[in-house]
Amino acid sequence: MKTYCQRLALALLASSALSVSAPVFAQSSDTLRLAAQADAGTMDPHAQNTQITLSIQSMIYEPLVMRDADQQLIGGLAASWENVEPTLWRFALREGVTFHDGSAFSAEDVVYSITRAKAPTSQFAGFVGNIAEVRAVDDMTVEIVTTKPDALMADKLTYVLMIDSAWAEANSVGQPQDLRNNQETFAVLNTNGTGPFKLESREPDTRTVLVRNADYWGETADDFERVVFTPISSPPTRIAALISDEVDLVLDVPSQDVQRLESTEGVKVLTRNDTRTVFFGFDLGSEDLEYASVEGNPFLDVKVRQAVAYAIDAEAISQRIMRGLSRPTGMVISPDNLGYAEDLDAVHPVDIEKAKALMVEAGYPDGFRVTLDCPTDSYVNGDQICRAVATMLAPIGIQLDLNLLPRAQFLPKLWERDTSFYIMGFNSPYFDGTYFAETVLMTQDQATGEGIYNYSGNGDAELDALVTEAKDTLDRDGRAEKLKAVYSWVAENQLYVPVHQQLIVYAMRDRVDTNVRADGWFDIRFATIE
Amino acid sequence: MIAFLFRRIVQALLVLLTVAAIAFMMNTFLGDPLATILGPDSTAAQRDQVRIQLGLDRPLVVQFADFVWRSAQGDFGMSYRLGRPVAAVLAERAPASIELTIVGVALAVLIGIPAGLVTAIWPASAASRVILAVSLFGISVPSFFVAVILIWVFSVNLGWFPSFGRGQLVTIGTWQTGLLTPSGWRAIIMPAFSIAIFQIAIIIRLVRAEMLEVLRTDFIRFTQARGLMARSIYISHGLRNALLQVITIIGLQFGSILAFAAITETVFQWPGLGYLFLQSVQAADVSMMSAFLMLVALIFVTTNFIIDCLYYIMDPRIRADGPMGGHA
Repeated sequence: MKTYCQRLALALLASSALSVSAPVFAQSSDTLRLAAQADAGTMDPHAQNTQITLSIQSMIYEPLVMRDADQQLIGGLAASWENVEPTLWRFALREGVTFHDGSAFSAEDVVYSITRAKAPTSQFAGFVGNIAEVRAVDDMTVEIVTTKPDALMADKLTYVLMIDSAWAEANSVGQPQDLRNNQETFAVLNTNGTGPFKLESREPDTRTVLVRNADYWGETADDFERVVFTPISSPPTRIAALISDEVDLVLDVPSQDVQRLESTEGVKVLTRNDTRTVFFGFDLGSEDLEYASVEGNPFLDVKVRQAVAYAIDAEAISQRIMRGLSRPTGMVISPDNLGYAEDLDAVHPVDIEKAKALMVEAGYPDGFRVTLDCPTDSYVNGDQICRAVATMLAPIGIQLDLNLLPRAQFLPKLWERDTSFYIMGFNSPYFDGTYFAETVLMTQDQATGEGIYNYSGNGDAELDALVTEAKDTLDRDGRAEKLKAVYSWVAENQLYVPVHQQLIVYAMRDRVDTNVRADGWFDIRFATIE
Repeated sequence: MIAFLFRRIVQALLVLLTVAAIAFMMNTFLGDPLATILGPDSTAAQRDQVRIQLGLDRPLVVQFADFVWRSAQGDFGMSYRLGRPVAAVLAERAPASIELTIVGVALAVLIGIPAGLVTAIWPASAASRVILAVSLFGISVPSFFVAVILIWVFSVNLGWFPSFGRGQLVTIGTWQTGLLTPSGWRAIIMPAFSIAIFQIAIIIRLVRAEMLEVLRTDFIRFTQARGLMARSIYISHGLRNALLQVITIIGLQFGSILAFAAITETVFQWPGLGYLFLQSVQAADVSMMSAFLMLVALIFVTTNFIIDCLYYIMDPRIRADGPMGGHA
């Protein structure tokens, strides 16, 4: 129903695209009117780790380490840093930075913010989980001690935004997401950061207005005065708002609109492939496949996994379902990652005869029936991809029962390893394949955090050894080599069946320009209005 | 009278308790709120800790008793999605929905009653046929479709009305109104109209049916025989009698528009209760959803209760207990 409605709406919009008349809604080069599908969940910098929340919050709050337009690490609130010993990092803070309320930024705030991000209700605990101790050496120097060598420490800190300790204490917001205390948590609607914009007003789900911080320490590409951010959840309305010039920049553009928007006068589209890779995973931890009509676990046999890979046509998925707006891939990590190898990324060939032969060799000439768990609200066209794969696997005798479910039900199933076959998208947040290797490929170990997203339940000593060797190599080039060995192993053993990387699509008025980051993090510093 | 009231109140409470049970059971059907609170990248230890913090580890019966007890006191807990007290968020969103409903119903009445009169008084005229055909369209076409057409015509092509939002708001006390600014009125017209279109169709058909019935009765024939002016017969005798039914229906519709304008609100990004509900469902924000359902139940139970009482006062037949009290 919904998609029908959307399609109809878009068809209507399409026919009208060329006849846009002069709009009555104010536009100006002083205000960037930004729209996205969802609102930032909260203004609390350590409560909610979603792309849009981070994108909005990072206009107000800043981390110690940032990324430049090419996604390379640069100094943020830390002017410089060094890895003194394998487990010791020293950060020299930037001088002369003040919070929006005028108080000075110092080492104390860093210690406070990192400690706050470690709280159980923080969604950023994963980024600071390896930190054993954070201490202020003096006002402008901070040392971080990690529990084990962590090559990605500086990368991880790009996600940890700095909050003013005195302000937080004065407003009793020492904990992110205080759900027991039935009080309005101050930091949900109020802010005090160091960033280029200050929060002027906020109505959740409706509108967030930011105004330029005149005392900002850094530089931005443009000097527009205001940002008005509006979540517009209905896709046709969001696109209509852009065409009728009620908004300047739309972050979440439905793939079916791209072609039409490109030919719409006054509007342009910027795309880039996402770091998130969508792939299929198998239950490799059970002796007996739970949701299947078969004895034992066929997926434990590499031949069955290879048969699945031969049967799934990633190119067809990209062309027909994604309308060309995805990048078919043979690798579980995207080209933006350290450890990416072009030769491993060749899209898996489709060969049904070969797949059938492999099924026979594995002892399943008649195939089997298994349930595929598929979230409907997590990936672009996720449900359609799953349906297509059900059709693609039928010829080799694997009959899929589709279990389409919302993300809020899907995730707990993965957490419990309560799945036999699933689709998943994984976003490497650090542009470094080490993270995927450590959290997805390694044997699960709650204590060390290794394999926390290893939902397949796979445990392989050989692979673990390869990953450990790679992640303990702090030198980037050396690590890249070791990672290649890891990902070759993954490909040879067909641990996962990669499908594609989605495209990030921004649409905007012609006068607007911005940088598109592969992790989907919208960075206001690069936005300009003519 | 007291026995009647008492019975009605007990019934109302039973309904509310049933709704509370359903609202509570959504917990099990809609998935784990921890997925919302902690996001996809949480560790098992983190989840256990928060589960205990929120009391989600207790037996379901205990959780339900606690839920009913706190709800009765107006404490609906914290919204998992927004990190704010549920009651505060509901209070913040209610004005948008109430204004939209009032304007929508007003449009429906202003258009529906005259159109209905026309079809009753001149049933064979071309105008009547057009009105009835259009009203059939109004009943059959889903409101989101109307909404999308409106956006296409009036926002994208003509640029008259904004495609989303409430425009400029004025705050009076705790009430944020869009009805005091030109941009607020521009913003409300399209959503209100797409809500009204179905109601207009209902009102036209209702007014027409009631009027035709009243016009057939003996006392109208008598007034005609006495030579009264046609207009006075239609308006002060016919319409007055038909209006009772219309008012009842509008009263009942008011509650359902207020509660279920979710689709229209979503298409126009109208920050009201229906939009809030849909967002909460997507995020499995169980505390918000249960509070919303309870609120909706309360609105319906209250309107029905008032209507029952009015009927009781107006219609002597209802006062008789036993076999005669077979009304629902």
